[in-house]
Amino acid sequence: MVSGFSNGPTGERGGGIDRMLLRLAVLGLLVIVSFVALFSRLWFLQVLASEDYNQLARENRVRLVYSEPRRGRILDRNGEVLVQNRQTLAVTINKQVIDDEDELRPVLRRLAKELGVKKRELEENLNDTTVSPYKPVAVAYDVPKKAVMRILANGEDFPGVGIEKLPIREYPQGDVLAHILGYVGSISEEDLEDPYFAEANPPYEAGDVVGKSGVERAYDRWLRGTPSIHRIIVDSAGRVVHSEKVQDEQPGHDLVLAIDAKVQKVTEAALESGIDAARSAGYEAPDGAVFVMHPSTGEVVASASFPDYDPALLADGISQKEYRALIGGDIEHSKMLNRPIQAQLPPGSVFKVVTAGAAITNGLIGPDDLLSCHPTFIYGADRRAFNNWTSVDMGSMALARSLEVSCDTYYYQLGAWLEDRWGASNGDGSERFQAYMRKAGFGSTTGIDISGEAAGRVPDWEWCNEIYKATDGALCPDGWLPGYTVNMSIGQGDLLVTPAQMAVTYAAVLNGGKIIEPRVALRAERDAEVKRRFETKTRRRLPLDQHVWDEMREGLELVVAGADGTARAAFSGFPLDRVRVAGKTGTAQIGSVDSGKNVAWFVSYAPAEDPQYVVAVYLNRAGHGGESAGPVARQIFEGIFGLDQSTDVSLSQDGSR
Amino acid sequence: MSLEGIFGEGVDRIGGEPIGARMARRAPIRHIDFSLLLATVLLALYGAAMIYTATAVKLERAGGDPNAFVTRQSLYILAGSVFMVLLVLFDYRHLKSFAPVVYGIMTILLIAVLTPLGEVRNGTQGWFDFGFFDVQPAELAKVVAIVAAGVYLGERKGDVRWTDVGMTLAIVGVPAVLIFVQPDLGTMMVFVAFTAGMLLIGGARLRHFAVLALTALVAVLAVFQAGLLKEYQIERLTSFLDPNPDIRTVGYNLTQSKIAIGSGGMRGKGIRSDDTQTSLDFVPEQHTDFIFTAVGEQLGFIGSATLLGLFALLIWRALRIAAMSRDMFGTLLAAGIASMWAFQVFLNVGMTMGIMPITGVPLPFMSYGGSSMVANFIAVGLLMNVHMRRFLRS
Repeated sequence: MVSGFSNGPTGERGGGIDRMLLRLAVLGLLVIVSFVALFSRLWFLQVLASEDYNQLARENRVRLVYSEPRRGRILDRNGEVLVQNRQTLAVTINKQVIDDEDELRPVLRRLAKELGVKKRELEENLNDTTVSPYKPVAVAYDVPKKAVMRILANGEDFPGVGIEKLPIREYPQGDVLAHILGYVGSISEEDLEDPYFAEANPPYEAGDVVGKSGVERAYDRWLRGTPSIHRIIVDSAGRVVHSEKVQDEQPGHDLVLAIDAKVQKVTEAALESGIDAARSAGYEAPDGAVFVMHPSTGEVVASASFPDYDPALLADGISQKEYRALIGGDIEHSKMLNRPIQAQLPPGSVFKVVTAGAAITNGLIGPDDLLSCHPTFIYGADRRAFNNWTSVDMGSMALARSLEVSCDTYYYQLGAWLEDRWGASNGDGSERFQAYMRKAGFGSTTGIDISGEAAGRVPDWEWCNEIYKATDGALCPDGWLPGYTVNMSIGQGDLLVTPAQMAVTYAAVLNGGKIIEPRVALRAERDAEVKRRFETKTRRRLPLDQHVWDEMREGLELVVAGADGTARAAFSGFPLDRVRVAGKTGTAQIGSVDSGKNVAWFVSYAPAEDPQYVVAVYLNRAGHGGESAGPVARQIFEGIFGLDQSTDVSLSQDGSR
Repeated sequence: MSLEGIFGEGVDRIGGEPIGARMARRAPIRHIDFSLLLATVLLALYGAAMIYTATAVKLERAGGDPNAFVTRQSLYILAGSVFMVLLVLFDYRHLKSFAPVVYGIMTILLIAVLTPLGEVRNGTQGWFDFGFFDVQPAELAKVVAIVAAGVYLGERKGDVRWTDVGMTLAIVGVPAVLIFVQPDLGTMMVFVAFTAGMLLIGGARLRHFAVLALTALVAVLAVFQAGLLKEYQIERLTSFLDPNPDIRTVGYNLTQSKIAIGSGGMRGKGIRSDDTQTSLDFVPEQHTDFIFTAVGEQLGFIGSATLLGLFALLIWRALRIAAMSRDMFGTLLAAGIASMWAFQVFLNVGMTMGIMPITGVPLPFMSYGGSSMVANFIAVGLLMNVHMRRFLRS
């Protein structure tokens, strides 16, 4: 201790200095610990987790606002507008604002009264599950201006109710081409998972209006356009602090279809008229279809499905009830079915060109070889009798005449040979007949540029096995029987085809064997400038000599023009000297021999010397092909080539196939 | 390193010098703690700058004077500096005689603020509105309580018994309870912190702390059970424990605060006008209790660590002064102030980063507010005083 005065903390505190410093050290340690904690947390937030927080900060302040670009129009090949847009006044309900059932009910009641519609209808639209719950739901379209004024004036009576101007699709041509055009609607969860939508760039988002079927769907990426995007920065109160346009709006492309509106109208009218005629003749004729295609390009000029619907019905959303009515009780009655590509039917005799092709390709006969056309063909160990459609013995004939008179026996023999050599039952099992069918495009989709296409069915040994297992032995109980092949040779049995497949196969006869993909769209344009042409795709070529195709064409011409042609009656009085029509009738029996159950087919083309149109027609449960399907094709050709005399189809008096 | 090495020299090593020279060397004016002064000034300026960045854009957007807050904060800093100078002019030991009077005035103010004379802000009745400026007595009460407790404990000279602990708790408890009923939970917690620090330095035993800790635990549980806290207070206190708080209500502050700090990253986003959490007003109370978020977002880890470094310097100087003080009173003043700052920094910064509950405690020298600024400058003045007069005789 230094002299008299204290010169440091030691003085007053005496010997307590060490204890004091120890206590201060404890305090200091606590401070150090708390600072270490702060630094660690700071390091975590600002260094380790910084990216996450940066992302959160961006989400806080950045909003992207999308515009709704004008959807492209759809035009026919001559520039006729098939689909365009118009503005409609719609009443919307915002479920975010009003979702309580008890509050909603009186509002809907008042709204229904104001709009003069049923409350149920509004409810059904409101509860449509296909629309985004975060956007106001449109419950009524094309609302009268007066009603709008009254709703706006009495806002307090209509909480959550809004008026929006919505663009909807409009169909200047009226009630035509519904199935091909398709319709639009809000994108659904399922749509978003579909690769077409999921892999698009820019990506689709919930709430987008997209094509749901037909070309609206298949070419949505072209039709949709690009929205303008504004990147806005908001403050905590949601006020816009800064806004910049990061993407300009591009309206959707106009889509030009191969469809010819005039031919389409003629085709639809002919089909409907043909159905009416068949019904008048006492047939049930519930449905039918026509597929009109250019034989070398695959361009689909017309496509008609019966029964059909007015596309405008689906333009502004549709009530559940209306939708049920469209779908009908079952597939057969569904108005939504796009039958040219979705109906699957046995082809009957129109299939004979395929059987002939299979036999010739495999060297069984040549097109000029003669085969007898007896009334009956006996085949197999059980000596089963396969009858021609007529009991008259037609003598020997080559390929062309076999088509003209549609001799079943000729084809039974080819079928028997195909079975004996390569069939699953009598032959080596290589199933060359089926292999050729597949080459000709059966058993798989044609690749047409709209979705939902059916593949049809090529029955074979494997299919027989599967169906046997699937049905516990009810079907194919004895495996593949030789008779199946024989039956198949005239397009009977379990073979199923679509009208589009038939058109493709007949196009191959005309274009030297090329199996082409039908396509509905020709090109995408913007401001009349072509942005993309959709090219014809050829899948493969059937390996037959031109001579074979020529003989087939000869036969098909005789079907219409020949003295014994099965479609002669259907074209009696038709100016074949001006427009040469060729084709093949088909009458596929389903189940029984009762002709009322037949599928009536006529696959034809014209002009025969330079084919521009392949026309595949079927009428279900409507008698013979030449009788009811032939006249439909006739009327179509009359319309196309300006030969129109009669406006209605009358059934041909010819009872032949 | 010896403990003296850390806290400064306990013993004067110089001997044999002429008395006059020694006296001159020991003149208080020659012993200003420039490091402490530097830390204080830098913190206050740092705070003012951050207040400017956190408010200017918003004020301008609202059509006001962008300098409104920073101007006032500068005035508070000036006022604080005047108080600081006043507090070094006399020997701090004279405080022993003023202390009871000041303590009495403070108690009266804390009672008065609970009467209709006081103003309610954010649910807390804790302000006097003098028109041109407001006074928050709780802020000043912290320093007064430290002085009062220091006077009492200093007399014990390290020999602390149960009665002394009780007396200390009574001295600190009166203002603390008055503040608790405002209610200002955060400030009350600061009282608890510096009282504990002062008891530790003042000589309380381990058993005192053990019993006090237990009592505190029981008291806290009782407070929760008895429903003395309002629902929102409990939510605020516990929301930091919830990893996914409801961001629309209680968790909003915390979420936005963490986003601001976290998104600052290593180097910060800089002072920008239109795309920061700060400029877009996403952090509520940013210029007051959440000023740290402005530092974190705009200046990043570098700026935040620098700020914490300045606080570390400040607290280290206070602890050093505690060790160097010539008497127990001075040591206790310095230790109390160091505890107060350390806890407030930990509570406030910890709150903005989600490791401490959300309580309305300002960040010393940084947060906008006059009473807090003046009280902290007074605390610096007291530390200076103790430091400058450590060689003077009693």
